Amino acid sequence: MIRRAGLRLLRIAVATALVVAAAPVSLVAAIGAGLAWLGGWPPARLYRAALWCLPMLVVWLAATAVATRSAAQVAAGPYLAWLAMWHRGAAGDWPGAAAVIAPAAIPVGLAAGGLAWAYRIRSLRTGSGGLGPDSAVAFDRRQWRHQARSARARIAAPGAVPLTVRGGRVVVGAVIRTVGHPHRQIASIPYARMRSHQVVVGSTGTGKTTLLLRLWAGFMATALRRHAAGQGRAPLLVVLDCKGGADARRIADRAQRVLRLAGARSTAIWPDQAALSLWALPPAQLTTTLVDLIEHGTGGAAYYADVLEAVVELAVAAPGGPPAGAADFLARLDPGWLATAYSSGGHEAELGLLRSAARQVGDIALRYRTLLRRLGHGLDGGGGFGDADAWYCILEGTAEISVAEAQARALVDLLASFAVRDGGREILLAVDEFSAVSRRLPIWVLYERARSLGLAVQVSAQSWAGLAADEDERHRITSSADGGIWLLRTPHPEPVAALAGTRPLTDTARRLIGIPVWRHRGSSRMRPAPVTDPELIRGLDVGQAAYLYRGGVTYIQVKRLVAAPAALPAPGRPRPAEQTSTAATARLSAGTAAGVPGPARSGPRLPDVSALLDEAFGTEPAP
Amino acid sequence: MLFAAEMYGVQFDHLAAVLGASEARARATAARWRARGHAETARLGPGGPWTWLTRAGLTACGLPYAAVPPALSRLAHIRAVAAVRLALESAPGYSAGGGYWRSERRLRARLGGRIGLREHIPDGEVHWPDDAPVPWAGECWAIEAELTPKTAGRTTAIMRELLTRTGDYGGPAAEARAPGPPRHVRVIYLCSPAARSTVTRAREALGEAGARIEIRHLPPGAAMPSPVRATR
Repeated sequence: MIRRAGLRLLRIAVATALVVAAAPVSLVAAIGAGLAWLGGWPPARLYRAALWCLPMLVVWLAATAVATRSAAQVAAGPYLAWLAMWHRGAAGDWPGAAAVIAPAAIPVGLAAGGLAWAYRIRSLRTGSGGLGPDSAVAFDRRQWRHQARSARARIAAPGAVPLTVRGGRVVVGAVIRTVGHPHRQIASIPYARMRSHQVVVGSTGTGKTTLLLRLWAGFMATALRRHAAGQGRAPLLVVLDCKGGADARRIADRAQRVLRLAGARSTAIWPDQAALSLWALPPAQLTTTLVDLIEHGTGGAAYYADVLEAVVELAVAAPGGPPAGAADFLARLDPGWLATAYSSGGHEAELGLLRSAARQVGDIALRYRTLLRRLGHGLDGGGGFGDADAWYCILEGTAEISVAEAQARALVDLLASFAVRDGGREILLAVDEFSAVSRRLPIWVLYERARSLGLAVQVSAQSWAGLAADEDERHRITSSADGGIWLLRTPHPEPVAALAGTRPLTDTARRLIGIPVWRHRGSSRMRPAPVTDPELIRGLDVGQAAYLYRGGVTYIQVKRLVAAPAALPAPGRPRPAEQTSTAATARLSAGTAAGVPGPARSGPRLPDVSALLDEAFGTEPAP
Repeated sequence: MLFAAEMYGVQFDHLAAVLGASEARARATAARWRARGHAETARLGPGGPWTWLTRAGLTACGLPYAAVPPALSRLAHIRAVAAVRLALESAPGYSAGGGYWRSERRLRARLGGRIGLREHIPDGEVHWPDDAPVPWAGECWAIEAELTPKTAGRTTAIMRELLTRTGDYGGPAAEARAPGPPRHVRVIYLCSPAARSTVTRAREALGEAGARIEIRHLPPGAAMPSPVRATR
């Protein structure tokens, strides 16, 4: 017992002597490890810092070689510097002493600090270090606070977190902690993952919208840059906000401004500011969509569904082309109109069908009149998805579920048709709380259809349950999210967190030999531990997110995109000079066909403006 | 400041032309605006730095626009339109006729955020007072600057839309194409060499209506300077 205590004292004395003898290295190592503890840095950061200091060491050794012209002097350089340091220190010249030893002491000290910090982390992670068994838990919580504080400071620095970085990577924020992913200061994902399916889960008020806006803006900026460089097609972002209400409109306004800053020329807000044309669908697809917009029953009602489909097909496929709008379609749901349209000969089968269904046509017209009135003008305009860089579609899934369901169905059909016909766009479809409107279009159907069309789908929900209607669909969605899963604070993260898998972790058991003394001997064993800690997810702050990808997780402090302020309302009255002048109006009216706007077909010729244009832009070469 | 506000932003060489001063003087003026918080300056792309108005600057000018820097993807186009406006305003006939340039930004602001989808907005309008001492008094012209060629079909559609529009921008949709005289008596196209042939083909496709379209080359100074390369 006495011998063991003596040996221990001897070990402590030798270690103390070494620390004192190598005081400069010890000091740098202590400072490095202290900073790493305070900032929650990984040991690799200290190793990298040591590597960055190596040029200083090389220059110092080279300078020594040039000055002494002796290899022996170069080899003995660190030792001689160490001696010189003590001599200068003894003479009271402490700045000189520090300057003499710094080139050798700083890189070695940083590396030693990194090793000490790595040892500390490992001993606590495996349970073999610390004063008690709860030390590891306290250490981990403290380190999380330090890491989060560092990440917040990093994103607060102006310009520290750009929207995109070299290689077209989309930047999300600052890294707090990584497990199974390489540690970087800035969290970014490759553009290719934005072109794959992603899932975002987070409760209200956790920063989900901030994250989504950042991802959308990053997608838009990168895709536009790639398109300009001839490396990709023009982007199209379509957001389906299935909650609706004032909140959706506030987010739409933010999205519009953020996307404008990202380079998008136009962001359409549907149906408030822009309309699409359901009638632009190909006739066969238009028939299917119109039929699916109406709720059908089962059993005896299935017969009615068949009649409805037959009548709609007659109306859509009538000779002369498909309907151009809702009014045109409703006008066709009339036995007289249909009979006239198909009376040109060669349509006996259709006329027979019409005779069979004639009694139901009135009821069908009534149902469609009601449906199209409730759908509003959003699907009866003249626009198409190709008209804007981004579409923010607001579906009133909370206030008017049945209308929102029909709208969702129509919008998805329109987008699918656009993707097939105009394959010149890289499309990202972002759907928020789609389960609220997915009764007629299961979300996995949307997923599969998007996959076949080359669309990337980003599904977001407030909870695991909000992802889809049933457990199978939820698992199907999350397991095919090959672009990664974003997890923000949510009360039940276990099903999603489990998707990151497990990793081997060492558990150590030690004996308590008296409070608070623990023996240094014990046993260790390997056990699988979850890569993503559900407790950590439950405790995430606002703006913190976990990104799960390929069996690893990166915890991120998301950087909020600051959008430009909203424009003031447009002035009510035009300036006098802005009115179209009456003289020119009268002149053109004289040469315009009555009632038809258009070019002057006859009448007085327009005055020649060549002189003015020559003055301004130079004379035109003779043809 | 009004010029910079109306054109989204302006590059220093164009600002110098607006002020009728040297580029150094323009730089000093922009620095003064910036010091007062009325403008921001930055090097956004090839060529000289850009300046654009902040919210405070726009408020000082009484303009209801969103205070945003010029979009990077539109820098070349914004510069070309500014060059067209400068060239036109420097012509003696323009000042003699009392022409008034109504910018795309103003037209968009009148739409109140209803971003034009099918609706095409010209790069500018020029209004001539009724009592101007020029033969084209009272006319309204649409100005289009074309740097890169669109498809002939798309260009024809834009021309047709501009020539047949009757209502003002931001007015009721029903008035945009109503019976009556067209809003734009003529459309002036300023084209780069690359875009000129497409625009000419599109005008020919319009037939007689194409007589109301004038096509000219973009003025000098419209092109974005090439990126400066390091030289020994």
